[in-house]
Amino acid sequence: MTSLIEIRKLGKVYSNDGVETPVLFDINLTIEKGEFVAIMGPSGSGKSTLMHILGFLDTPSSGEFIFQGKKTEALSEDDLARIRATRVSFVFQAFNLLPRTTVLENVMLPLLYHPAIPVADRQKRALEAIETVGLTSRKDFLSSQLSGGQKQRVAIARALVTDPDVIFADEPTGNLDSASGVAVMNALQALHEKGHTIILVTHERRTAEHAERIIHILDGKIDQDVRGFKRVVAKGTAADLK
Amino acid sequence: MKTIDSIGIALGAVRRSGFRAFLTMLGIIIGVGAVVLMSSVGASMEKVILGQISSLGPKSMVIFPGTQEGGASQVSTGFNSLTFEDLRELEKLRSIESVAPVIFIPGRTTFGREEASPQVFGVRRTFFENQNIEIADGRWLDDNDEQGAKQVAVLGPDAADNLFGSVDPMGKRIRVGDYTYTVVGVTKPLGSQFFQNADDRVYVPFSVAKNVTGQRYVNYITMLATDSFDTAFEDVKATLRRRHGIENPKDDPKKDDFVVRSSAQASEILGSVSLGLTLFITTIATISLLVGGIGIMNIMLVSVTERTREIGLRKALGARPKDILLQFLVEAVMLTVLGGLIGVLGGVFLAWIAAAIVSNILSTYVFVLSMSSVVIAFLMAFMTGVIFGLRPASRAARLHPIEALRYE
Repeated sequence: MTSLIEIRKLGKVYSNDGVETPVLFDINLTIEKGEFVAIMGPSGSGKSTLMHILGFLDTPSSGEFIFQGKKTEALSEDDLARIRATRVSFVFQAFNLLPRTTVLENVMLPLLYHPAIPVADRQKRALEAIETVGLTSRKDFLSSQLSGGQKQRVAIARALVTDPDVIFADEPTGNLDSASGVAVMNALQALHEKGHTIILVTHERRTAEHAERIIHILDGKIDQDVRGFKRVVAKGTAADLK
Repeated sequence: MKTIDSIGIALGAVRRSGFRAFLTMLGIIIGVGAVVLMSSVGASMEKVILGQISSLGPKSMVIFPGTQEGGASQVSTGFNSLTFEDLRELEKLRSIESVAPVIFIPGRTTFGREEASPQVFGVRRTFFENQNIEIADGRWLDDNDEQGAKQVAVLGPDAADNLFGSVDPMGKRIRVGDYTYTVVGVTKPLGSQFFQNADDRVYVPFSVAKNVTGQRYVNYITMLATDSFDTAFEDVKATLRRRHGIENPKDDPKKDDFVVRSSAQASEILGSVSLGLTLFITTIATISLLVGGIGIMNIMLVSVTERTREIGLRKALGARPKDILLQFLVEAVMLTVLGGLIGVLGGVFLAWIAAAIVSNILSTYVFVLSMSSVVIAFLMAFMTGVIFGLRPASRAARLHPIEALRYE
């Protein structure tokens, strides 16, 4: 069986005004379908860059990135956009909801760019995703009328709506108080239990321990790849959290 | 992404930006509005002028003494080059059906204590036919009046009104200068001809006018061609040049000491006037749409910068560069098209108001909507959106998703 993600000797160098800054060196990594992986490391370690490459937002400078058994090096900008529209999705630290736009419209946004989901199904799918994160009663609220935790759950619903193969969460609790953070991690764990593959990027050990596998990145290299530790389980259901 | 989606996004963006969107559109609104207004006014004026010309008829021509200077519309009058001998020669031409000379009589015109200032014309019976004048009351001047040099007068309706008010003018005596005339008729209204009120006139016999003024020349002559206008026109010019000793083989009107006016020439003047007007409107339109377009581009560039994170997000969610390009292009076009729409409505409204006001002064002025100008103005607004929206849109489309997402 092919792995979901397989990378071999992957490197990334940023060039800016002729100055080359290497960020990732010789990364080898395999992630299977259905895993909940945390990529952990201090800021500047290269963990975000790795996530951007795995999420098709950026391309590697060297090495191989094989996604669902297919090489990705020859993909055009439009191909990358198509994969982002259909295969992967993101939850960002800063939520990145559209301002002056309702919850429902925010969650429907990715469906605009999905080539296969008919226009008639957009609303139904969005409402299902909103229900999954327990915000049905807030569906017509403007994004600015929500608390931080609610905003991030809208972002999770938005990530779910296209039924992607991988959900990337980049410091999803970074802008939240601890209770809201627990609610968000609870929602992610619930998605994982339903079979979604989740890749979490964080610098906090406590957050990373919600995953089942932690990949430590240090100075652009994999320092440790740990499984079988005692997982933190986010208590309570999404609905009874702020 | 479907085009309908981009229209939806653009509509939402325009709606949310509210007043700013309106200010952005203002240049386009004013530009398009001005074009529609001026085209409509131009078309209305053209109609008025055409009305003035058509009263002359295709076979008629008018000869003035004087020299034409510069364009066809510039004439210096007050010359005495058209003599009675010329008149007799012109009457002999086979290509001319009728000749109607006019002599102006200066002086105060009074009835009792009432004083008015009509134009007093010494004319023959033929003038009546050439000008399609109809009688409302009494009779027109006849050959008896002419041969007997009778002191009789026919009044235009406005002249009758000004002198007599509610009094019946028939049989009354009016005074022009040192002579008195008995009113024998009143004409029906003629309206205006070449922007002069043809109804504020007093007509007296030509022979009387000759005696009263002592003039050896006529002020102008109206003529009607027998069949072909062109033949008559050539004959008239040849006759007058021969009689006045003018060598003019190249038919240069500046060399003549007379000016021939016809409806064909008037149309030609009108044509040059409308061409000038069209050029003027096009210039205004181009300048204002250019200014409006720069405004649109400026605001769209600001908008792209402000919405960098949104662009990054859309790209992260799967928007292709062309989706982003289309989104911002549609938004720019929507601004100009909406502006164009408001401009068209505003221009039509103002033209309609103008027509309502002007028609009080100039009764033949009617509201004319130039559909072609509406369509052209609208298309130009659309093109302005495409041309000036392209650069901001392509800048948005080229943004790198990660850099855009991180933009503060």
